Amino acid sequence: MMHPATNVPNQSELPAELCAKPLALVGISGLDTVNNATHKSIWELFSGSRRVDRAPVLFKLIKNDHEFPVIKPKRNSYDWYIPKGILKRNWMNKHLFEIPAVMVILYDLDWNDPYWSEKMIECASRVQSMRAALEGRDTRIVVVLIQNVLSIPANEDSLASDRAIALCSSCELNSGSLFVLPHGDHLQGYIIRLENAFYEFSQTYYHNTAKNVKSHKEHLNKNTHQFLLVRHQFKMGFLHEMKQDIHIAHKHYTYAYNSLLEIRIVDTNALEIRTIAGFINSKLCRLFFSLNLPRDAISHFKSHIDKFKSRIGFQELVFEHFAWLSKQYAMFGDIFDEAVKMGLPAVQTQHPGLYYQQAAQYAIIRKRVCQELCSQIIAYPQPDPLEGGNSMEFFGQRPWRPGKMSSEPPDPHLESNGIQAVQFLEKLANHSNIIIALYGLAISQFKTYKCPRTRRHLVLQMADEYYNSKDYGKALTLLTHMLWDFRTEKWWSILSDILQKAIKCAYLTANIQDYILLALELLGDNVTLDIDDKKRIYENVQRILKKQIPYGDPKLPHDVLQNAIIIWQPVFQTQTLNFQLDMANIQSCVEIKASFLKETYEVDQKIAAEIYIKSTCPFPISFQGISVLVNSPNLSNEYSINRKENKALSFQNNEMKRFEVEFMSDPNNINKQIQIGGVIVIMGNPSECYFELKFSNSCGESKVALTKQNSNKPNFDQIAPLIVATIVPRYSKLRVNFEHNKPALLGEWYEIKVQVDNDEKFSVDDFKIEANLVDEDTSDVEFSLVPTGSIEKLPVTLKTPAFLPLKGKVTASVYLRGHKTGEKNVEVKITYTLNREQPVISIKREVITLPFVQPFEVKTKFISFIMADIKKLYMGEEFGVMPTIHCMSPWPIEIENTSFEFISPIRSLEPDNESQVAGNTLYTNEDGAELYLAVCEKSSEHNVQIGQYSVKWKRENGKEGAISHTSIFGLPCEWIPLGIKLVAPAHGLVRTPMIITYELQNRSQQLIELDVAMEATEAFMFAGYKQFSISILPNSKRNLQYNLYPLLAGSVALPKLTLSIPENTVEGPALREEHLKDLLERALPTHLYVMPQAKGNPIMPEIVKLTI
Amino acid sequence: MAVCVAIIGKDNSPKFFACLNPDEELSFQYKVLSSLDVVEEKLSAGNKAGSDLRELYLGMLYSLETHKIYGYVTNTKIKFIIIVDSTNMVLRDNEIRSMFRKIHSEYADIVSNPFYTPGEQICSKPFLNNIRNIMTGTV
Repeated sequence: MMHPATNVPNQSELPAELCAKPLALVGISGLDTVNNATHKSIWELFSGSRRVDRAPVLFKLIKNDHEFPVIKPKRNSYDWYIPKGILKRNWMNKHLFEIPAVMVILYDLDWNDPYWSEKMIECASRVQSMRAALEGRDTRIVVVLIQNVLSIPANEDSLASDRAIALCSSCELNSGSLFVLPHGDHLQGYIIRLENAFYEFSQTYYHNTAKNVKSHKEHLNKNTHQFLLVRHQFKMGFLHEMKQDIHIAHKHYTYAYNSLLEIRIVDTNALEIRTIAGFINSKLCRLFFSLNLPRDAISHFKSHIDKFKSRIGFQELVFEHFAWLSKQYAMFGDIFDEAVKMGLPAVQTQHPGLYYQQAAQYAIIRKRVCQELCSQIIAYPQPDPLEGGNSMEFFGQRPWRPGKMSSEPPDPHLESNGIQAVQFLEKLANHSNIIIALYGLAISQFKTYKCPRTRRHLVLQMADEYYNSKDYGKALTLLTHMLWDFRTEKWWSILSDILQKAIKCAYLTANIQDYILLALELLGDNVTLDIDDKKRIYENVQRILKKQIPYGDPKLPHDVLQNAIIIWQPVFQTQTLNFQLDMANIQSCVEIKASFLKETYEVDQKIAAEIYIKSTCPFPISFQGISVLVNSPNLSNEYSINRKENKALSFQNNEMKRFEVEFMSDPNNINKQIQIGGVIVIMGNPSECYFELKFSNSCGESKVALTKQNSNKPNFDQIAPLIVATIVPRYSKLRVNFEHNKPALLGEWYEIKVQVDNDEKFSVDDFKIEANLVDEDTSDVEFSLVPTGSIEKLPVTLKTPAFLPLKGKVTASVYLRGHKTGEKNVEVKITYTLNREQPVISIKREVITLPFVQPFEVKTKFISFIMADIKKLYMGEEFGVMPTIHCMSPWPIEIENTSFEFISPIRSLEPDNESQVAGNTLYTNEDGAELYLAVCEKSSEHNVQIGQYSVKWKRENGKEGAISHTSIFGLPCEWIPLGIKLVAPAHGLVRTPMIITYELQNRSQQLIELDVAMEATEAFMFAGYKQFSISILPNSKRNLQYNLYPLLAGSVALPKLTLSIPENTVEGPALREEHLKDLLERALPTHLYVMPQAKGNPIMPEIVKLTI
Repeated sequence: MAVCVAIIGKDNSPKFFACLNPDEELSFQYKVLSSLDVVEEKLSAGNKAGSDLRELYLGMLYSLETHKIYGYVTNTKIKFIIIVDSTNMVLRDNEIRSMFRKIHSEYADIVSNPFYTPGEQICSKPFLNNIRNIMTGTV
């Protein structure tokens, strides 16, 4: 039943004008926004896009014939005046929206308008009529001329300034009140400037108005005019707020609030005082936040609540008090939230959500009190005691006794009627909606301020309220969403509480899936529930499985149960009921763990998985089937347990059973992982109603090993399931042998013999051996299939027959050549198919680690003609190159041949370079050396490349030789103009003359002059020039011959030849003393072997004979 | 005199709960759970600031209309919560601190008990009695 009086505004609501931000009101007249496009654009610029940076002004379009509120006659004395209420309803509205601080009259008029004087008169008359309408107010009147012609500055345009003065005087305005608005470019800029000017004027207006209110103060008397004291302070506060002077506004509101507190509160005025206190408090709190004093706002609000908490007023209308309290908290939450949005930082312990939460609490109390007080009220009293509630003069008064002073005794009959009417209306209110809305606000705040648990609690309270308002579906959704978190944090008693509420909701909405899920969880041992309740739930589950309607909670009221049964009936109409329930997230009374038995399965083996099922349901529970879901990379399969043991699928309390599932693996999954995706348990009867319970196979935290061990039976909690297994290829039974002699030597074709014996139980097809390098770049190792070396691409397939009979044997070789020392891993992979009823591919891999070492090392020495080491080569002088082969291989090396190829300008001095070490075998650390004679034909400052030394070698008993090349670098080569050589017999005989010849060669184009001296020795007598000068012609030779007569036997020193450059040589080739000295030391032997005289007649050497 | 004492494990699951009035246990559980939000926030803030690690007492977590809730966290992140009636003016900060210290020492004793598995709910009767004595201030 809707009654006309139900639209009486709730007394606890705050009026809109109180919550609005007070802005200075500016009236705009003279604009025809409908027909005139120019006017329209001006108006839109004034009123539209009110951003924060614009002046705090509200524009109102006022028609020319607008009637403003009538001004009250001024009161001279307050002596006999008794105010009937505190705050008039219309006052705020009047100042906010009715009485402009500035009245702007816009008028289209150019300075050079042809009808200037007529229009000026019309404008003046408009000003006059507006002035008349605002008679008695301080409103400032302003004229704005809309001009189409852009005027030049007024002081230069005498016409404009004259006419402006004329217009001002005819309108009786001072020149500061006349503005010009050129309509053209930059209109917005002009508008903003005008707006700021109007705002300035409005400041003065509100200041004066407030002063005017203040002037009444001295007439007031504290005893009789308490209400007026509050009213005037409130007005001053409000006017200052309109003036945007929030400091002073705040001061006046504080006075108002304090004055209000001085009024004695009785039942009859409690509502009014409370209402006004709420108004002032909201203003104060808002200002505190604006002044950036959030702590003061909070403490003021708290003291406000403390002061009024116990001021209940009529006991019969106590719900009004709680509604007011709830509203106060919600209001403060709103203000706080607004401040936060403006940038105020809030913290976890102090944020708007707390106030919304408290508001919800009071709303609940209000609802409870209402149910206590109003349940008896069934009729609305006649005549309507709330008549005229909307047109009351004052805020917070009862419509049935408006304006009565608290001292007057109320009419008891009217009073009780009024109370009854209010109670009746309260009964109609939708409390649940109010409560839920407040919870909604609180929840979003708590979420922002990181209070997940408090938020959850609020959601639960919200769900309770939905339940109370009989919206069971929503309650169920909220409750089931909250379960998860309580489960993870193991708050079992809270969880049990929620589950019980949720199952009631599920029952009342006939939600069969949720009902079964919740029941299974409620039957678990975590839930602290009476065994009787559990039994009832258990029986209900059994009834559902038989398609019977479950029994409701006996505590539910009868009519609710009746409704539920009606909803349940159609649920079982369908033939079979089949549901899939996801058990992943719930702690049900059935616990499941599934595990593979091994970490790896070979592809030809059966895969075995075990399933442990444990029931914590206090009553026996049985299933129709159990199967396990196995996910492989490509597909997932379901494998059921053997149904022969069907009878075993029933469980007693705390009974655990183990089941095993075996299945073949898919050969496509080799080297891939398979995973147990979950376990499906089927409950119920397939023909009537059955549920597939899908358990996810979580690893589950296996509990710490501190729990006691039960040796004979595995403890369910300690089973750590193995949910992942790898499928591997089958184990090969081929026997593989490698025959090779490590290490491999660089440069040789190293043979690895692979021998495979078939020890399998079947013959083998598609047999293949492949060799490859393991994860290496292949550039420094080459593979070949023949010992002579023909390089193959990797991987190399060895030459083998494709078929290997039972007990068969295969041998194959692969050859490798490496060019770098170090270890290499060579992989040999054998793939084949086993010849049996179900052919299986098998793979066997072997890895050989192969070190590569150098077979030998070549070192080279350079020696002079007299076998001494040299540091330099000289052009045209012979020298010896002596390469030495140092064997480093652990295996003996046979040198097949060596050769030395000289590179120009080095030239060999031997006609045939036959190897001197060929055919020798070197063992570890043995050396083989040979000597080549050569001459350099070009000087060089750098080391001269001598040539390439090639060694052809093989392992002892090896098959094929390998050739190693070594580049030999020599020494720098110098050029000197003189060459010398001693030609002497290999040995001499005592007392037998012998001839030696020094050959001097001039290699230059100039004449060489030298002083020659021969020093005598004890061992020889000699004949020849002892000291003389010689000249050698360019490019010619000169021989110096000496006849020696050895006196002593042995290795005796030869007479020493010295060469020197004569002083005062005119000019000669660049030959210096030290060159000569080096040359002699280098080229001439110092000693000679002299043999003792033979017995009998010595035979004169041929050459001596000839000379003698 | 405290009205409720709770011990919460490091995984935020309840290990022990004692109320003077058993009928109110559920509502106290909700209160304790809500106060854990503040505890968590304080702990995470404390880590950042590197505040004094030896100070285990967290002070008042919540001041509700009817009750005040205090918190205390051990080094192993075991939380102790005490709920006191708002009207109770006898219990000052110092008294609450000393209650927490007593509870802590009782907890250390129970953990040392070989028959107690750490991480499980505490259901020892002497422990309950001792805690009750601490709550009522008879110790």
